Order: sequence, then C-alpha cells, then structure tokens
Amino acid sequence: MSAPILQVSQLTKRFGSLVALNNVSLEIREGEIFSIIGPNGAGKTTLFFNIVGLQKPDAGRVLFRGADITGKPPHKICDLGITCTFQVPRAFANMTVEEAVRVGAYQRYRGREVQRKVDEVLQICELEEYRHQRCCDMGLAPLRRVELARALATEPVLLLLDEAGAGLNPSELAGFMEILRRLNEEKRITLCIVEHVMQMVMGLAQRIVVLDYGEVIAEGTPQEISTNPRVIEAYLGKGAVC
Amino acid sequence: MTDTLLQNLINGALTGCIYALIALGLSLIFGVMNVVNFAHGDFVMLSMYLTFWIGLWAGVDAVFTPLLTFPALFLIGLLAYYALINRTLRQRYVTQIAVTVGLMTFLRALTQLIWKAQPRALPYSLIQGNIQIGPYTILASRLVSAAASVLAILGVYFFLSRTWAGRAIRAASDDLDAASLVGVPYRQTYALAFGLGSALTAIAGGLLMTFQQVDPTMGVRFGLLSWCVLAMAGLGSIPGLLISGIIVGAAEAVGMSLWDPRARSLIVYLLFILVLWLRPRGLFGRK
Amino acid sequence: MGRIRKDPNLILLTALLGAALLLPLAIRSNQYALVLLTTILLYGVLATAWNIIGGLAGQLDLAAGAYLGLGAFTTGTLLIRWNVSPWLGMILGGLVAVGFALIVGYPLFRFGVKEVWYALSSAALVEVLRVTFLIWSQVGGPVERYLPYHEWSLYHLRFATYLPFFYIMLGMLVLALLVNHWIRQSRLGYYLMALGENEEAAEVLGVNTQSCKLEALAIYAFIVGVTGGIYACMYGFIHPNFFSGPMSTEVAILGIVGGLGVTYGPVMAAILLVSVRELLRAQLGGQLEGLYLVVYSVVLILIALFRPQGLGPLVRQAYGRLLSRVAKE
Repeated sequence: MSAPILQVSQLTKRFGSLVALNNVSLEIREGEIFSIIGPNGAGKTTLFFNIVGLQKPDAGRVLFRGADITGKPPHKICDLGITCTFQVPRAFANMTVEEAVRVGAYQRYRGREVQRKVDEVLQICELEEYRHQRCCDMGLAPLRRVELARALATEPVLLLLDEAGAGLNPSELAGFMEILRRLNEEKRITLCIVEHVMQMVMGLAQRIVVLDYGEVIAEGTPQEISTNPRVIEAYLGKGAVC
Repeated sequence: MTDTLLQNLINGALTGCIYALIALGLSLIFGVMNVVNFAHGDFVMLSMYLTFWIGLWAGVDAVFTPLLTFPALFLIGLLAYYALINRTLRQRYVTQIAVTVGLMTFLRALTQLIWKAQPRALPYSLIQGNIQIGPYTILASRLVSAAASVLAILGVYFFLSRTWAGRAIRAASDDLDAASLVGVPYRQTYALAFGLGSALTAIAGGLLMTFQQVDPTMGVRFGLLSWCVLAMAGLGSIPGLLISGIIVGAAEAVGMSLWDPRARSLIVYLLFILVLWLRPRGLFGRK
Repeated sequence: MGRIRKDPNLILLTALLGAALLLPLAIRSNQYALVLLTTILLYGVLATAWNIIGGLAGQLDLAAGAYLGLGAFTTGTLLIRWNVSPWLGMILGGLVAVGFALIVGYPLFRFGVKEVWYALSSAALVEVLRVTFLIWSQVGGPVERYLPYHEWSLYHLRFATYLPFFYIMLGMLVLALLVNHWIRQSRLGYYLMALGENEEAAEVLGVNTQSCKLEALAIYAFIVGVTGGIYACMYGFIHPNFFSGPMSTEVAILGIVGGLGVTYGPVMAAILLVSVRELLRAQLGGQLEGLYLVVYSVVLILIALFRPQGLGPLVRQAYGRLLSRVAKE
C-alpha cells in the first residue's frame, strides 16, 4: 500500500448553527483514484474548499505529505500541488480557452515554456479545436474539460474534481472518464472525485468514502460500499444507483 | 464646550433619523434585488426640489408635501425601474452602475436645468420655533422631522411584516428561488421595492426641506451617506439602520463642532471606510 | 491569426498617432480646440490607466481623482515651495499616489472588500482627500495656489500655450497604452483577467489575488499621479477640487463604455464621449445650464443599456469586417 498524500483529520466547519463538516477524517493515498460520495448537502464541496484553502476550518488539520497545510491560502496550496475544479463551472467567461489555460500554466512556467504547457494540456483534454473560442460561448461538456485543463496546467500532484461529470451525456462521460484514467496512469496524478454520477465513481474509484450530514459514514472499495447497509440507508436507498 | 458638543450631538442624532429613512429606501432596493443604485441620493435631491416647488407654487407646507411627492416619487421609481433597472438585472454589476450613474447625472442636470445651480430654501415652515430643554435648544422642525422619520420607518416595518406585498418583498430578499416557487411574482415585487424605496426619499426630502436648503450637488452627498448607513447597519436589520443613521448623523455633527465645519463629510466617509475594513457585514447585518 | 490581425492594427495605430501628431498644425493656434483635444487626451490617459484595475482586474475603482489630485499637489507644491522641476515632481507625485494607493488598498483587499463596496469606498476616498486638502491650509486651502508664471520654460513645465501639453499628454497616452498592452500579454495580465472573472477560481489556479490587485492598483495610481502633475502645470494652479468625484466617476464610465479590458476601448470612449460632451457644452451651455449634461447622460444610459459589452468590441467587429473586405480585394 502506498503512502498517504493527503490526510484530513477531524476537520470541522460550521456556518453559524449549521455544521457542514463534523469531525471528518480521511486519507488519500499516493497515486490512487479516490472518491467521496454522499447526498446533496453532505458537505462534499465544503470539504474540498477547506482542503484547497478557499475556506478555513474551525477545527482539525489537513496534512499534505506529512506537512500541515491547514488554513494556508489557495495559491500556496496550488503551488504545493493541490488544486480543484468547481461543481458549477466557474469559467473565465470572457477569456478564450487558451487564455484560461494559460492562467494555470503560469504557475510553473515562464516565457515560451508557457505556450508549450498550454498546447500539451489542450491536447490531453481534447480542446485544440476550441483554442480560440471564448469560454462563454461553449457548451457544458467542453467547459468541464476547460476546467480540467486549467487545473492540469498548474501541474498538480493531487487533483480534486467536484462533480465534474454532472450534466454530461453517456458518451461525453465516457470520454471524460478516459481522460481522467489516462491522467492517473500516465501522469501519476492522484485524483479525488466528488460525484453524483455513480457510473463514474464505480468505473474509476479504487476507494470510496461516504459523507452524510458532514460525517463520514462508510469507507471502502466500490464493492464494499455498494453493499454497506448504512450507505444504502443514507444514500443508495434513494435509488441513486441502479 | 461640552454643551456645544452635546447640542451638536443632539442635532446630529435627530438628522440621523432622516438618514436612516433614506438608507431604508436604499436597503429595500439593494437588499431585495441586489441592484447597485448610485442615483438614490439624487432621488432625495429631486424630492427636495419637488417639495420646494410645490411649497412655492401651491403654498403647501413642506410637512404635508409628502402627500403629493410620495406618490410622485413612487411613480418615478416605477418608471426608472421599468425603463432602466429591469433591463440591467441580468447584466454585470458594472453595467448597473453605469446605468444608475447615468441616471444620477441625468437627475442632477435636469434639476440644474429647471431650478438653476443656486441653493434653494423654503421661506417658512408650519413648525416653527425652538424647544428648550435645560441648556439645549432644539429646532422644533428637526425634532418633528426625526419623529416623523421614525414613524415612517415603523410604517415600513409593519408593511414588510404584516402585509402580503411586504412579505413578498422580504421573501424575495431572503431567497428569490424559494419565493418564486411559492408564487411571488418577482418582477412585480422588484418594481414595488424600487418604487417604495424611491418613494421613501419623498418623505425624507420633505422633512429635510423644513430646515435645510437644496442644491443640485447634494445628491452625491446623500448617496454616499445612505450607503454609509447601510454598510454600517448591514442588510436586513431595520433597528440597525436607525441606530446607524443616528451614529452617522452624530458623527457628522461632532466632526463639525470639534474640528472644522468642512470636516462634516470627512468623518462620515472615514467611518464608512473603517466599517468596510473591519465589519464588512455591518454591525447589525445578518447576511 | 494573432499575427495577421496584429499587423494591420499596428499600421492603423501608427497612422492614428501620426494624425494626432499633425493635428495641432491643422488647428494652428486655436487655443480652444487645443484645450479640447488635450482634455480628450487627458481622459484617454486616465481611462486607459483605469482599464488596468477596472477593466482587467474587474475592480470598479472610483478614485482616479484621488491619485490625480495627489500627483498635482505633490508636483505643484514642490514647484511653488522649492522650485523643483515638475519633471521630477510628477514622478514623485506618481510615487506619492502609489504609496497612498498601497496604504489604502492593502486593508481593502486584505479584508476582501469587493464590488460595490470597493467602488463606494474608493469614491469616499476622493471626498476624504478633497476635504482634507481644503482644511489643510499649509498645502491646500480654499484658494487656488498658482504655479510661477513662465512664458516658455521647459524646466518649470510652464508655457503660455497649450501646444506642449498636447504633445506631453499624447506621449502619456502612448505610454499608458503601451503599459496596458504589455500587461495584457504578461503573467500579471492573465492573472488580473482571471481574478476579474472569478476570484476563487483564480486562487486555486495559483493566483495570489491580493497581491495582483495591489500591483494593478499601484500601476494605475502611478500613471494617474504622473498625469496629475502634468494637469497641474497645464492649468497653472492647484486646488482641492482637483480631487473630483464626478471626474473619477467619469473615468470609470469611459472605461466601461469603452469595453472592459479592451486596450484601446477607453481611448475611443474618451474621444467619442468627451468630445460629445464638450461640443454639447459649447452648443447648449450658453443658453441653458445643464442641458448638455441631460443629453450627455441620456447618451451614456443608452450605450450602457444597449451595448453592455462596450464600444470596443463593436469597433473591433467593424474593423475586422473592413479588413476582411480589403483582404478579399
């Protein structure tokens, strides 16, 4: 078993009286595809935001390769190699695809190297034909790939994807999953996917954690999860998986 | 020394009640539809001119002109909403600002065109004289204006909490999607909020004219002033608005008496900037 | 594609610059026309500088007057008191403006003051400075302070004609455009555009939004501060009303009308709107005070309502169409 790349221990986040995360602990291992599932409002997005530094937790710690990164600003965490994509694409609406990806590429490159990185990422994400299109003129499927490409351009070692498959049709989803699998195998990028689309979770993830009302209620392989009675009660029982 | 200071404080606090009323109008507009209205202060200025005009030509006292100007400003507000604001709802906030700045310039230029640039004041008011409390002299018109402002604020409070239309406005400001689901027609609610928000400046304008003069550049001052009160109060707290209005009015007065008469706005704006730095949600805000 | 489009642009810009250089010859010594042209250039410079913080970074700054006034007062005071050449004075003025911008900007960005609140607090700043200088009688005060008169002195930057100021302002405009162009191509430019679109998304891509905004604010303040120094010399006096709220708003409006982030948009807006305003003022101002502003504000509202993307893209389209037609022939 490989070493942990990210350890979240007893993370708690409150918004007023609402407890969005309650004592959440989990561990993501180097090189794996990890998944977090759970019903709406279970705290998945909040967890991501607290890991990448967009929000600061009220209690608990986040360790990246053993070093404490709790409460660091997002740009520092990005520099360390963790970044995320957003559930609702936060496109740089008035920028072209190439420009948007460039923003990420500047994280590690300067001068000519930037363009090389942009070209490489555009190719991986199959976006070359959209290169000069403005983000606000694009459909959802390519926009999801732009989000991915932007993040990839920063050369993360751990990439958090927040419902990146939502709203895609089956063939688009298959293409997207193929890209992710390749990234994981060829680039050795550790992936953590939050997802509603069970097809994607079950097809990709090696380990799954289930969140409900801000708490971890189960952990295991896809097979273990799909037969866990607590999970079925909290989540799968609602017919999310068929 | 302390006497003058206290005297000024009282005067300032009384004027502050009117500021709270103006800011309440702004908070209806900003809180409900999230529209950044830069022209709000110029609605106040317009109300003051209308009061002046009606007072001069029809001989109606400034205290009673709101009976006429309130519906007038409500209609002007509706007009502004349907002609301009409605079209900017889906735009970026810079577009909204550009449009309302245009409206602001328009109103100022229009009043300048009609009434010229020099300050105007009404020669008399029904409420005359002073009230003596211990060593302090209070202008009766200030006291009546403050009381009337508080009454108007209470009126709006009851309107918002007791009537269907008022509840619709509050629902829309809390959660527009949920409000639409339960059948609140949001365009009409917006129009109502904008109309009411503008109409409240009519009351304020009438009250201000009982002891103040008006000139076309006043709009900017009232605009920034009401944003300052709103920033301090935060959204959604009517008592907070009143307290903030009084604080702002008092601060203005203290600045004038302790430092320099010209420092009046300085204190307010410094306070404003400080509040934004330290309490971006306001002192009493809930969101 | 970029290269093909860039070349004709360059030709056009050079042609425009050439025309601008020769313009004073055409109007000879008509001082009124010179003032008008220089004023257009002045607004062009200010709006182009604003484009960095307002257009690229999306922070609706309404404090142009604050930086302009600081530059003017620094330059003017140094010249009046210690006979320091405005050439040095305007640089120092720019630096004073930068210092002030950083002191104010740091807490604003640190505490996440955004959108309308940023706009309003910057607007308040202008008024705070105006009143401060009105009260601060050693430097400001309610009376104009005149710069020493010289028929023609390059050292004092004082001339009996507006002609040199036209060229100096033109030079500033070219400089401001070059800075804009350079930022647009640089890492800072991409970062600013990204954070202007969505701050959180930019943050997770490694953009330190706080320091980027500060950098943008500093560059903008510097250009405006230097321009303030020229402004003081051009008018020959300094007065607290240089900290002008309406002027600050107008600069932002020009930037918005020109099209946010479009490098040459603000200049076009300045040429169009400032000349419309001044012509209206000349035509209507005599008879009815305020009428020109009524017409002007209606024009402004119409542009904002029906061209929310600004004039820049419109002109770009028309120009692109023209180019492709030329290319076909």
